[in-house]
Amino acid sequence: MLFPLESTLKADAKTVAGSGEYDVVIVGSGISGAIIAKQAAEAGKRVLMLEAGTGANITLAGYDDLLTTFYSAVSKDNQSPFPVNANAAMPRSPKLRKLQAGETDSSTYIVQSGPYVSDTTYTRIFGGTTMHWEAKTPRMLRSDFKTRSIFGQGLDWPLSFEEIEDDYRLAEREIGVSANVEDQQYLGQTFPGDYVFPMRGLPLSYLDQQVNKGIEGTSVELCGKTYPLKVRPYPQGRNSIPNPAYDGGKGYRPIGAVDTHQVEEGGRCQGNTNCVPLCPVQARYHSGKTLAKAFAKNAKAGERLVELLAQAVASKVDIDPDNGKVRSLEVKVYKDPASAAHETITVKGKVFVFAAGAIETARLMLASGLRSTSGLVGRNLMDHAYLLNWALMPQICGTMRGTSSTGGIVDLRDGPFRERQAAFAIDIHNDGWGWATGAPTSDLLELVDDRNLHGADLRRGMVDRVSRQLLLAFMLEVMPDESNRITVDPQYTDALGNMRPILSFTVPEYTMKGAAYGRRFARTVFARLGAQDHTHYDPSDFGYVAYEGQGYAIRGGNHLAGTHIMGTTRTNSVVDKNQRSWDHENLYLVGGGSMPTIGTANVTLTLAAMCFRSSRDILKYLH
Amino acid sequence: MSNRFEAFLGLSVELTAFSRFDLLGTGLAERYLATLDKVVGVEITDTLLAAFVALPPAEGEARIKAVRTTILGNELLGDVARALIKLWYSGTWFELPLAWMERFGSRPADTTFVVSPDAYVEGLLWKAIGAHPAGAKAPGFGSWAFPPKIPALPELDSKA
Amino acid sequence: MSSYSIRTLDELKEFLHRAMQLEHATIPPYLTALYSIKPGVNQDATQVLRVIVVEEMLHLTIAANILNAIGGTPDLARPDFAASYPASLPDGETDFEVGIQAFSREALATFLKIERPAQRPKQLAGKGLIQRKTSANTTALGSHPRYEDLHFYSIGEFYSAIAEGIEYLEAEAHRQGTTIFTGDGSRQITPEFYYSGGGTLFPVTDRKSALEAIALIIEQGEGDGGGIYDNDEHELAHYYRFEELVKGRYYQKGDQPGHPTGPQVQVDWEGAYPIKANLKVAEIPEGSELREAAAAFNARYGEFLQLLTRAYNGQPSLLLEAVPTMFEFRNTILELIRNPLPNHPGMNGSPTYEIPGSTKQAAPTRQSEVIA
Ligand SMILES: Cc1cc2nc3c(=O)[nH]c(=O)nc-3n(C[C@H](O)[C@H](O)[C@H](O)COP(=O)(O)OP(=O)(O)OC[C@H]3O[C@@H](n4cnc5c(N)ncnc54)[C@H](O)[C@@H]3O)c2cc1C
Ligand code: SF4
Repeated sequence: MLFPLESTLKADAKTVAGSGEYDVVIVGSGISGAIIAKQAAEAGKRVLMLEAGTGANITLAGYDDLLTTFYSAVSKDNQSPFPVNANAAMPRSPKLRKLQAGETDSSTYIVQSGPYVSDTTYTRIFGGTTMHWEAKTPRMLRSDFKTRSIFGQGLDWPLSFEEIEDDYRLAEREIGVSANVEDQQYLGQTFPGDYVFPMRGLPLSYLDQQVNKGIEGTSVELCGKTYPLKVRPYPQGRNSIPNPAYDGGKGYRPIGAVDTHQVEEGGRCQGNTNCVPLCPVQARYHSGKTLAKAFAKNAKAGERLVELLAQAVASKVDIDPDNGKVRSLEVKVYKDPASAAHETITVKGKVFVFAAGAIETARLMLASGLRSTSGLVGRNLMDHAYLLNWALMPQICGTMRGTSSTGGIVDLRDGPFRERQAAFAIDIHNDGWGWATGAPTSDLLELVDDRNLHGADLRRGMVDRVSRQLLLAFMLEVMPDESNRITVDPQYTDALGNMRPILSFTVPEYTMKGAAYGRRFARTVFARLGAQDHTHYDPSDFGYVAYEGQGYAIRGGNHLAGTHIMGTTRTNSVVDKNQRSWDHENLYLVGGGSMPTIGTANVTLTLAAMCFRSSRDILKYLH
Repeated sequence: MSNRFEAFLGLSVELTAFSRFDLLGTGLAERYLATLDKVVGVEITDTLLAAFVALPPAEGEARIKAVRTTILGNELLGDVARALIKLWYSGTWFELPLAWMERFGSRPADTTFVVSPDAYVEGLLWKAIGAHPAGAKAPGFGSWAFPPKIPALPELDSKA
Repeated sequence: MSSYSIRTLDELKEFLHRAMQLEHATIPPYLTALYSIKPGVNQDATQVLRVIVVEEMLHLTIAANILNAIGGTPDLARPDFAASYPASLPDGETDFEVGIQAFSREALATFLKIERPAQRPKQLAGKGLIQRKTSANTTALGSHPRYEDLHFYSIGEFYSAIAEGIEYLEAEAHRQGTTIFTGDGSRQITPEFYYSGGGTLFPVTDRKSALEAIALIIEQGEGDGGGIYDNDEHELAHYYRFEELVKGRYYQKGDQPGHPTGPQVQVDWEGAYPIKANLKVAEIPEGSELREAAAAFNARYGEFLQLLTRAYNGQPSLLLEAVPTMFEFRNTILELIRNPLPNHPGMNGSPTYEIPGSTKQAAPTRQSEVIA
């Protein structure tokens, strides 16, 4: 999709500071901020978007530079496409280490105060974490909104599934979700009679099909209930075949790569198997696509409705003591990511929206001394806990092809067992053991250096070792807990002098019970498949958690939530059900941080839906 | 093509079991020879190439045995040859083992590095398994639903 | 009505077959130029060429839709379908040659000509076809089925002849209470099966959609009525996108044709592998791996044309299968282009696109001459 050249010209700090009041000032250009920017621009509002990271990737050339950085990186880790930027740092996992009791590690951007060390991450760059995400887009289940009432666990939402359902559909349109309704009607999920997803579901990978062959028709029993097993396709935020029946027969037009010039790629996923950390062709959704639509409004309106100021780090919130409203925002604008030199400007607006991600939004509030009446800012931090299980299938499965994950086992996302232990959804990873072991490079090193293979033996050995890999990633439910939290402390600051987030986290027992069951479940599945279990958890692993005599390496899920939780009153929550701050009437804290629970759904579709809801509330407030 | 380059290609075919067409098709053969020259020096590279040229013309098991004893099992050349295999397969030069450096001296250019962005893209390991490098050479929509097309081993199949 | 006008439905079908041939014939040159670009350089050119290849595929598919709409049978495996390179294309008084070559200034000069054929000067208005100058053995793209030795003044005139033919035959049919649009609707390719960002595919079912389809092909190539954009979505016509590369500057809104004023475009004219233009398999030493690979590629390409033929004959979903084949071509073409060509120092191999079973052979050109 095209967007006008003018909008890539960087807004200039002086003009922004001097340009009086914006209708809406948004912090963060991720999907949360982008949706609100687009909705506001469509209603003719003047929007300023502040982005801490660099904005070079707004054009295709800048985007492709990220890809080149990725190709050139020795370690192809999660954040490898995204250049180091000390002024808007982001968590990078390779440097983590296990903590001793009571120890704090401040050597990485997020200060790890333990006891659990999380490798969870987010991306501070134009487009936010959607530049990086995998783009699975399941909805939350009905029961996920009421876990306190139904299971006696976690919290109830102030919203029901029914209240959010229409916004789920808007989010599915915005992201461009590919899925088939018939595949998603499990565990009581329903869709109105004529609903179809914008695009058809992506086909299951050959690996998924092989796993399915081994388990379909079998079942497991848990707490007296039987759960049939089957590999089901995930709904995905990447372009597939547009469904002609979408929108009452109007169809859907996929949005591929965005640029100021016409480009022809990304209209359909090509199977680059690189959705994380960067889709090379932009077939995967990123919020630049939503912003391109917002920028396009500029051209129509003949004026600049939406301005983007990149390399602008929101640093302090200024509150009017008389009415509690946000008066202005202090922003540090730097010229060069390699230098801490910056100027500080003050930005004014009618409404402020903080969409900096669950950790950074809480960090900004806390750094401004704003803990809220409830004292809950930064608390109830949630993130899915991942438990990896890996094995070799008896037959060649063609691993390392397809989107990062096309299918999984999701029938244990719900059930009465949730009174006692966490539910989970399992992804089958088309990129094999990569996440767990660094495959296939680690396999190459082993085969050449240790197993002394060369020539034809090596070629055959690689096939034998890599093309049979199966990795089951269990995404475990984590419930809110006030002691799991983000805090700040003046002794830990970043290059610009902003306080860094400090993370204190204990994996809840409820989750560990689910993990222990998950491990047994994986062994059962491997046994049914005749797969060789290669799973092992190293006690020196940074995420190693002991539970009931066993140890598990728990990985962060990148599904951050809970830090400005949504509720029914100013004493039990930070924001109301429209994500408006109870304490500051012109301030919206949006994104995963508002979610009271996360169930077993990757959070983004839900937080996108909530942002459509908030956009309406913001427009109402402005009138 | 120079004799030196010819020998390098021959050695690479031997070590990787990919054909000359495949290796030249990466567009990287010259650069990989230059990488060897740069990292371990022309002298050791020449020794390695000479060891290859001196291999007996045997085929099959006898040939493999000769490669093992005179190249891969050679104290000086073994680690260099293994680094070359890994280079062809991944596009990355992996630093030589500590023991090698202690014995033969460390070289300033001997660090782990990706030779160039396209070296990653042309890594042979992906081709060996009928896949494609993550993030490049995409096989197209829906291709993942079908069994992998794992290329046959032309060279050795014909000899076996 | 001139004697060259289309008078029968069969003739219209043959014209549409030739339209498909023409649209397809541009793909191998563009594809080869695209993949001849060395890694790490010419990103802008890569994007431009990719857009255009995808849109040529779209044009091919649109032409198939029109042919299907009037009850025709697209056949890309017909022995006279695949062009032999260099092939000739009409360009005013003379034809010009379209060949397989690396990305270069010369290649772009050819591409510009493909996308905007000559405008007929006023003094020649109303005059007929032009005498061919190339040998009868050369594939003459955009030629008249009844006058193989003549050619249209431009591709634009070739398509105009088709549009007029449709109007004429449909009006005739109407008078008799029928229509020429009798094709089976299920043979139409819809956006589900082929998606291109610029210009969506639509089914052709009647006179109106058929004429729209032709307009789309023309506008994407040469622009709408002299403007630089091809439709109201401000997508630059192919001609101007190529011109951006030649002039080293992007167009932006409000620019006049020939005078782009946007940001600079970086073009590295040396940033392509030196392939031997219009290489033939016979020129590659027998028994070499390169020759084997080039021949294998041609066989796969032939299968690809057969697959497309089936897709256009009632199995549209096969187009989805054709896509992975296109991606596989990319890998093979890259390998061919990076392998040195034996006995030609400093030159590399190339795909030859000599489709097994194809009848056309290249031959030398003849002297030019215009007839009225
Ligand atoms: C590897 C990975 C895989 C994932 N996979 C999935 C998945 O499959 N499905 C799913 O649903 N979710 C997934 N997620 C999570 C998903 O990416 C996030 O939930 C989502 O992108 C959050 O969007 P956001 O707009 O709320 O926040 P973000 O995208 O994090 O955006 C915040 C923005 O604010 C900017 N910012 C931060 N601080 C400041 C400041 N002080 N001043 C100015 N700007 C600031 C940041 O630079 C950033 O651009 C994944 C995440 C990762 C890392
Ligand atoms: S599989 Fe590839 S093309 Fe598809 S979304 Fe992922 S990275 Fe993009």
